[in-house]
Amino acid sequence: MEYDPENPLTISNEEQHRVSDPIEALFAAESDHMSPLAGGHLDLSARRDAVSVILQAQFGCSLDPFAAYLAVNYVDRFLSKREIPSGKPWIVRLLSISCLSLASKMKKTDLNLTDFQREEGFIFDSQTIRRMELIVLGALDWRMRSITPFSFLRFFLSFFSPAQAPLLHALKARASQTLFKAQNEIKMLDFKPSVIAAAALLSAAHELLPIQFASFRSAISSCEFVNKERLLECCDAIGDVAMDGCDLTFEMVSSSNTPVTVLGRHCSSSESERTVGSSSDECDLKNRRISELRGALRLSQA
Amino acid sequence: MEKYEKLEKVGEGTYGKVYKAQDKATGQLVALKKTRLEMDEEGIPPTALREISLLQMLSRSIYVVRLLNVEHVDKNGKPLLYLVFEYLDTDLKKFIDSHRKGPNPRPLPPSVIQSFLYQLCKGVAHCHSHGVLHRDLKPQNLLVDKEKGILKIADLGLGRAFTIPLKSYTHEIVTLWYRAPEVLLGTTHYSTGVDMWSVGCIFAEMVRRQALFPGDSELQQLLHIFRLLGTPTDEQWPGVSSLRDWHEYPQWKPQTLARAVPTLEPEGVDLLLKMLQYDPANRISAKAAMEHPYFDGLDKSQF
Ligand SMILES: Nc1ncnc2c1ncn2[C@@H]1O[C@H](COP(=O)(O)OP(=O)(O)OP(=O)(O)O)[C@@H](O)[C@H]1O
Ligand SMILES: [Mg+2]
Repeated sequence: MEYDPENPLTISNEEQHRVSDPIEALFAAESDHMSPLAGGHLDLSARRDAVSVILQAQFGCSLDPFAAYLAVNYVDRFLSKREIPSGKPWIVRLLSISCLSLASKMKKTDLNLTDFQREEGFIFDSQTIRRMELIVLGALDWRMRSITPFSFLRFFLSFFSPAQAPLLHALKARASQTLFKAQNEIKMLDFKPSVIAAAALLSAAHELLPIQFASFRSAISSCEFVNKERLLECCDAIGDVAMDGCDLTFEMVSSSNTPVTVLGRHCSSSESERTVGSSSDECDLKNRRISELRGALRLSQA
Repeated sequence: MEKYEKLEKVGEGTYGKVYKAQDKATGQLVALKKTRLEMDEEGIPPTALREISLLQMLSRSIYVVRLLNVEHVDKNGKPLLYLVFEYLDTDLKKFIDSHRKGPNPRPLPPSVIQSFLYQLCKGVAHCHSHGVLHRDLKPQNLLVDKEKGILKIADLGLGRAFTIPLKSYTHEIVTLWYRAPEVLLGTTHYSTGVDMWSVGCIFAEMVRRQALFPGDSELQQLLHIFRLLGTPTDEQWPGVSSLRDWHEYPQWKPQTLARAVPTLEPEGVDLLLKMLQYDPANRISAKAAMEHPYFDGLDKSQF
């Protein structure tokens, strides 16, 4: 019953062949779980603050990354529905704490909010958090089994051939990495979760398994649930994220000409340790790979 | 909760009363159901959170009663959760009863049985496609809109957080009539088959206007089943004699199922037989049932 982001519908493997079209149910419901920028009034600065509180919990309290991911998803959906009064930074903190609390309950992971808050130097009493939880639940219509890109990875991986476990595993691991990073990219909010998943897998395939890439790409593009144009746009957008071996480098190099979309992360992970290399070379390489990927994807449209 | 005006009690559930109420602002009729889920120091209990969000996900189907809202009231400083559902005028038990007793006893029209069973299969298929077993399907848990001829599944989701209780809060015995043999025999592994067994029992009950297996204890319940379908054997149902609660039973031979449902057409009997297979792995799935020839005459486009 625990929420599994890769399987929000809780279908056990052995039952899968007996039930009707779980994947259709996912595609049908995914729009309920979006917080699109277009038409919405997502408060970007509130979002940035909330995400940074959540990342602090993730790294400071070694919270399950999926729980943090889910919490950010709740924050996005909440902010796209409700306006936060400006000049009250504590509300954003309360929102982040409550979303963290809800997410860790859904994921059945423990998170000691009191300890975390003490470290952060602000403490809300449990009644306040409880009230905020209910406000969040109301705003999100109690749809807490978020359908996220992770929910579609398994489905799209089934289009990959040869279906060899080590290859699928590598693709999924790489795509997951990309998805975690992509959540910080504001512009990704405009894409459906399924499209983001497909784009992340394609970019992983392009990078890791270039020989199989073309057939994978055409298999995914022919999937009836996927809008090819949106997929292409999403691949464009995700290319920046995926090819970016290191967030911090990217931020330093490109913040002058792109809006700062990559948040300053409190990284302690080994990945970000290899920070500033010869950044301009890396950047060139990266740009080359992105444009290659774009070219490769565009072929599929013809 | 001030949003709603309680009108009358419409049902007694395992965990509390169910009220008919009206949304004061919109006039919409709703059913209010108190849950046992109380808020505590830790805020919303994780089980409640997971169950209600599951219910919310399922209530997208029109064959599942729609969860409209979740309300909380403070009772002695302790918030209680109420679920607010769309209101339907009756349940299948009351509907069948009205055809059995009262001023005008008459069979349910075959077309109604066919349509209700189809909608039931559709709702069950929907739940199963979301990985959810109902585990307590029975006529009381199926709500009916008489005017529109619609049937919806109620009482979903929350059952999963708790094992099926044997007694309700009023100490009424919870009915065993629709319980699958593997459950009665103490299986630890539930599958979609438990619901399909119940669907079969409900199908037969619509035809007979009385329960197919009205047992009043777990043993009696099994004996009712065995007397009609024959005592199961290991050939027929591999592993049955190693289930936890298996004993030696009298050896009954299977009876002709058609005799238990004499007014049902042969295609219907065939479908019923497929729903009442002993081995859960052989029981027809909800999705396959919807394709059964019994429904050939039904205009499925309306669903
Ligand atoms: N939405 C509704 N509209 C009309 N009547 C309803 C509604 N929901 C429930 N009822 C009535 O209340 C009765 C009990 O409701 P329900 O089955 O949901 O409760 P419960 O506590 O889970 O009971 P149990 O677990 O014993 O089945 C139903 O049999 C039905 O008669
Ligand atoms: Mg009930």
